[in-house]
Amino acid sequence: MNKLDKQFEEMMKEIKIDSPSSDFTFKVMSRIQAEAAVQKPHLLLDYKPVISKRTWIILVAAFILIMTYITLSASGSSPASTSTFWSTISGSLNSLKSNEVTSLWQKGLGIFSSIPPIAYMILIATLALWTLDSFLQQIRHNHSKV
Amino acid sequence: MNKTEDLYYIEAVRKGNVQAFSYLVEKYQKLVYTLALKLLKRPEDAEELAQDTFIKAYQKLDSYEGKSKFSTWLYSITYNAGISELRKRRIEFKSLEDQRLSDQDEMKMHDYYSETKKEDQEKYLNLALGKLPEDDQVLVTLYYYENQSMDDISEITGLTVSNIKVKIHRARKKMYSLLHEMLNEEVYSLL
Repeated sequence: MNKLDKQFEEMMKEIKIDSPSSDFTFKVMSRIQAEAAVQKPHLLLDYKPVISKRTWIILVAAFILIMTYITLSASGSSPASTSTFWSTISGSLNSLKSNEVTSLWQKGLGIFSSIPPIAYMILIATLALWTLDSFLQQIRHNHSKV
Repeated sequence: MNKTEDLYYIEAVRKGNVQAFSYLVEKYQKLVYTLALKLLKRPEDAEELAQDTFIKAYQKLDSYEGKSKFSTWLYSITYNAGISELRKRRIEFKSLEDQRLSDQDEMKMHDYYSETKKEDQEKYLNLALGKLPEDDQVLVTLYYYENQSMDDISEITGLTVSNIKVKIHRARKKMYSLLHEMLNEEVYSLL
């Protein structure tokens, strides 16, 4: 920097810097807070349910099929034989009518014990996913109100 | 300017502490506003541009890599927004007559200027600065007032270092020439 530059720099230091309005920071921060509030729900708006409706139908259908199969196989009948299945059901109802609660309870326990552990795991996992899905939907609903 | 301090607050904002951004607004608002005012002239426009600069900086904070100073990055946002606003308005940069003083005249001019009253010095200096083209005002402010390096100014404005050197040199000559005119007028008015 030569002498002239140095002199000019000294001169320039005399200039006072301009100031914005006194509430400048407040104005900027208000806009930024609003911006931040918009950005967060934006993420939730992009949310898609963990389990789609189609998957839910497939899951329910699979669950019914598994339960039917297990019920039929527990009663020692062929799954193909529908009449036997209904006879098992009516048999159960008859036993209920005759107040044989104890034997029905035992029968019920027998059915449940014959269900393989994997079926329970599927059931628990499905319930967990359903709970999570409902929870996220609730959050999205609350944010859309803001 | 403490770069580490800036980075600390930037990191806090990135982690979700929005309020931490107010530190950066407080720290840089005056110079961002000054640059905006030099470009747009009207205080209300400058205030709006300065606000928009900070909002844009907040939105783009993730893209700030920390390679340059935060102030350099921030001023480049201000400068680019200001220039594009000027282009929108189709305001052409005023060109001054290429009236130059020799280096010797500049020396004399400076001595004469130094003898002028303090309050008059500031008045004339502001007037002379205000008569420079908008982009030159920004360069002079950044270089002489904010002590930004040529490389930083190059990053802010997108101009080459050699171009900036030439522009600043010319701006200084122009300012001296304008001061010369103004001070001469003052002398004549006294006679």
